[in-house]
Amino acid sequence: MPGGGKAPTIALRGSLRLRLLLGTLFWIVASVMVAGWALGGLFRQHVALQFHAELNTHLDQLAAHLAVDAGGRASLTAAQSDPRFSKPYSGIYWQIDRVDPAPGALGLLRSRSLWDDVLRLPADTPRDGEIHQHRVTGPGQAMLGAVERVVMLDEVPEQPGRTFRLIVAAEERQMVEPVERFNGMLWLALGLLGGGLALVAVIQVLIALAPLRRLHAALAAVRGGGAHRLEGRFPAEVQPLIEDFNSVLAQNAEVVERARTQAGNLAHALKTPLSVIANAARGKPGELAVLVGAQVEVARKQIDYHLSRSRAAAAVRVPGARTPVAPVLDGLARVMRRIHAERNLDLVVHRASMSAVFRGEEQDLQEMLGNLLDNACKWAARRVEVSLALDGGELCFCLDDDGGGIAVAERERVLNRGERADERGVPGTGLGLSIVDDLARLYGGRVELTDSPLGGLRVRLLLPAAA
Amino acid sequence: MRVLVVEDEPTIAAQLAEALGTAGYVVDLAENGVDGHFQGSDENQPFDAVVLDLGLPRMDGLTVLKKWRAAGRGMPVLILTARDNWHEKVAGIDAGADDYLTKPFHMEELLARVRALIRRAGGHASAELVCGEVVLDTRYSRVTVGGQTLTLTSHEYRVLDYLMHHPGQIVSRSDLIEHIYAQDFDRDSNTVEVFIARLRKKLPEGVIETVRGLGYRLVAP
Repeated sequence: MPGGGKAPTIALRGSLRLRLLLGTLFWIVASVMVAGWALGGLFRQHVALQFHAELNTHLDQLAAHLAVDAGGRASLTAAQSDPRFSKPYSGIYWQIDRVDPAPGALGLLRSRSLWDDVLRLPADTPRDGEIHQHRVTGPGQAMLGAVERVVMLDEVPEQPGRTFRLIVAAEERQMVEPVERFNGMLWLALGLLGGGLALVAVIQVLIALAPLRRLHAALAAVRGGGAHRLEGRFPAEVQPLIEDFNSVLAQNAEVVERARTQAGNLAHALKTPLSVIANAARGKPGELAVLVGAQVEVARKQIDYHLSRSRAAAAVRVPGARTPVAPVLDGLARVMRRIHAERNLDLVVHRASMSAVFRGEEQDLQEMLGNLLDNACKWAARRVEVSLALDGGELCFCLDDDGGGIAVAERERVLNRGERADERGVPGTGLGLSIVDDLARLYGGRVELTDSPLGGLRVRLLLPAAA
Repeated sequence: MRVLVVEDEPTIAAQLAEALGTAGYVVDLAENGVDGHFQGSDENQPFDAVVLDLGLPRMDGLTVLKKWRAAGRGMPVLILTARDNWHEKVAGIDAGADDYLTKPFHMEELLARVRALIRRAGGHASAELVCGEVVLDTRYSRVTVGGQTLTLTSHEYRVLDYLMHHPGQIVSRSDLIEHIYAQDFDRDSNTVEVFIARLRKKLPEGVIETVRGLGYRLVAP
């Protein structure tokens, strides 16, 4: 199932933090499990050894006290030292069976604690001196751990050797209970240790990855126009990346600048001969002159359009650019007052919100506002007003004129490439508005055309503001 | 009126010289920035306007313009360039240009702008210069007296044009010579007197006054 296995892989690949945490947690859990299992096993083994050692001690004592009288009857020369043997069903028992002669007689001698029960061990014949261990069911169906050995008594010379099977058994409960108690404590302790380690691992991952969060913030600042490069010192593992990234940013800016220069050079190279051709043809009679004039105009529009596009496309790919609005508007106002000096216009730039900063290249802002202001000055009768409002993260420029305006039906059309609202003979390529619209869209903004309170056209230019 | 054209492309320069000459201007040409700067800086050769290209060999146009302005040369300057960025227009105007026109351009528009620059530099708001009955329309290089069109030679027109741009002011003979002849023209100061005499015959009496020892003055009778 290729689809089924993908999600966790992506999640793992997607997050360094998750990867580190899962890896660390896996090892913590595995270590705790292995430690618990190994320690529990060792303790169980130790308790079992002790249990059987105690049974062996009792067995030795039993063997030492076993005697046979002249009549061949077996008896104990002394009572077992452990008082639990005297308490009925105390959980620890002994029993002596006669094996030879007359085998089968179970419970020849028994501890008082057995009361009227007998211990039934599987048939077994340990050799002299061997001790065998068994598990049997004892009184009250309790599981018992038992040890047995065979003792041959031949101290009575006139009687043949008599063989006895000596058994000491104790309830396994006595062995299991301490193990269970120990395991409980052990798992609790290991659980606390594992939890502590996991907590430390989380803190460690968070601390180790904190520079990445700073890096994220620094990148956001570059994207948001708040910075031209990644600022701040980062750990030695990350710093080379930062330096590489900064040099890419610088190179990018340089490429844009070079593209601009080349576009300008191309414009110069093409427009001067176009001027020569157009001026040579102008005023001359004949079809050829008209054709040349018209084609020069077409060529000029094409050059303007494609140069603007190439400059614009290069520009918005430079992250981190920010441009204060006021100097741009003031510079353009100075230009407009000069190049439209003959028109004696009132050009008013309202100062409200003028401290705003545009998130983009200075030349692009100049290009957009320059074209719009130039249009307004061409078409205005007496007055042009520029104002700026900050709406959330957006700059909203309003350019008003008191000219003839553009009919509602025409407004969409003039935003398209090469369209002119009319042919009143005002100089211009007809590309001004569409270039502005293209540029604004590249920045995620837009151009809107509405009626102006001054009576003419209002152009609203919406652009992203820098943080 | 004398215009300096600083343009490195010879065909454009020739077209400009022809069009400006036809419109009644005296045209001096410079084909690189250093020469343009030198000619425009000569206080003995006052220009009434400059048409300045930006992409010039040896010294770029903006530098030429800044040097002129730093040296106190205040003649109106029109930048004529293929560089049509608003960024460059702002830089040009801030360097001291009075107008900015981008290539390819309509010669009529260039002439209109040069005319307007010269007129505004003399403090005239209208394209028609009026002195009593005498009206000089700078747009069509036409002079009328009481509605009747006068026929003038190009030199007569230039002398009257300069006087009409400076009404009521005393204009010296050397001033007139500097503004009606190109630099490399073989000048003869006596010819100015000949032009003045011919103009006096064509204009109403008393319009051109002689201020002894100083020059001429245009007055509305």
